[in-house]
Amino acid sequence: MFFYGFMQRAFQASILISLIAPILGLFLILRRQSLMADTLSHVSLAGVALGLLLGIDPTLTNIFVVVIVAGLLEYLRKVYRTYSEISIAILMSGGMAVALVLMGLNDSGATLSITQFLFGSIVTISVQQVWMLLSLTILIIVLYGVFRKQMYTLTFDEETAYTAGLPTQVMSILFNVLTGVTIALIMPIVGALLVSAILILPAAISLRLSKSFNGVIFIGMGVAMIGMILGLIGSYYLGTPPGATITLIYIGIFSLTALLKKTM
Amino acid sequence: MQYIEVNDLSFHYEEEPVLENISFKVNAGDFAMLTGENGAAKTTLLRNILGLLKPSKGSVSLANENIHGEKLVVGYIPQQVASFNAGFPSTVLELVQSGRYPRGKWFKKLDNEDREHVEKALQSVGMWNERNKKIGELSGGQKQRISIARVFAMDPDLFVLDEPTTGMDVNSREEFYKLLKHSSEFHNKGILMVTHDHEEIKRYANKHIELIRKENSPWRCFSMDSCKELSKHPSSFH
Repeated sequence: MFFYGFMQRAFQASILISLIAPILGLFLILRRQSLMADTLSHVSLAGVALGLLLGIDPTLTNIFVVVIVAGLLEYLRKVYRTYSEISIAILMSGGMAVALVLMGLNDSGATLSITQFLFGSIVTISVQQVWMLLSLTILIIVLYGVFRKQMYTLTFDEETAYTAGLPTQVMSILFNVLTGVTIALIMPIVGALLVSAILILPAAISLRLSKSFNGVIFIGMGVAMIGMILGLIGSYYLGTPPGATITLIYIGIFSLTALLKKTM
Repeated sequence: MQYIEVNDLSFHYEEEPVLENISFKVNAGDFAMLTGENGAAKTTLLRNILGLLKPSKGSVSLANENIHGEKLVVGYIPQQVASFNAGFPSTVLELVQSGRYPRGKWFKKLDNEDREHVEKALQSVGMWNERNKKIGELSGGQKQRISIARVFAMDPDLFVLDEPTTGMDVNSREEFYKLLKHSSEFHNKGILMVTHDHEEIKRYANKHIELIRKENSPWRCFSMDSCKELSKHPSSFH
């Protein structure tokens, strides 16, 4: 298995995703934006469909579309402050609708490609995608190291963060954009339908296991690494979609830790 | 030195006015209490002052600098802190330490002076022994106390407090008011506090801003008649 180039790239990508997923996932959970990842992944499909229709690299159109929508999400979150999930409902269904319409306009074999993006594929990971993921991982880890205190304060309470002098709106938009770019890059591997599970579940599991902020992130990285690697191996031998296999392993770990916590 | 200046402020929710003709100042060294009946838009007024809401008319200005010419640091405790982000993965110590970040520590490590401030703040609210607990494990009263400790650790130039003593017993409230009076009197801190305990605070505060319902208004709109100066009692807390 390890002699195949595509599997080597899949493992490299998995390790990189394991490092960034708990960081973004924790902030998404604490900012009550878990569903934002789902929204952006649906919108990503529209980005991919646009790329396929125009004959441009779908990764690039995907990033372009997701970055715009990530900014729009922050605007709608402010407009519908009390019912912020409205923005998610609008953009999730809108993204999916645009993707389906663009696919309908495309007469070539785009449907097959879209299916790959929907369910993910480890065979399609290119060297270029691994390099892009590596750059993104370095960027996110550096940003976390530099702005950890600001993000801690913003996430705990946005209003006290604002009165403490933080540019809360700019920070929120940049965080959304960074999440959007991450989703655009990992979606072809794990699939649009399960990308949010890959981001959210490691942090959700580690939230129950540590009482400190850094502890949650480090344990989350360990959980993500176990889940991603076991999921890839399982996906390879069983011929199952990688995103689904990884998600099931995460849910297994989640149930196991919940059970152990209860009996301890 | 003036820390807050509210000048003929009005605030409307869509067409409905809730605050009109509000003017007062809070200076360095002032301990001002803001009172009014339930629904008198006290929190709305604070949020206008802090820039979280935009006045419909008039102006609010917050000083940029403190009395030493440094950037003004504002410590804000919102209402109902007991319902704060309780699932947040943080120990009590981590949370109170985060109060030091606005003191020029966004990009620097906390030093011994910061740690002393944090310990003193936690000691002052009786929560030092609970410092390694997860914040989600605390009772409502304890959450209130660590929110207060976080603001004291910040050592702000201006305290903006929205009913910070909700759920506190009489003795804890007395201690808290003494601490605030000491901060304003001996360290020139400005304090603006929303409270329902104005009888209790009278002997600590030196200004009283009362929001009163506007007569002959078809709306439930509040205004103020004056900003009363209260007589200063000597501090008994050192």
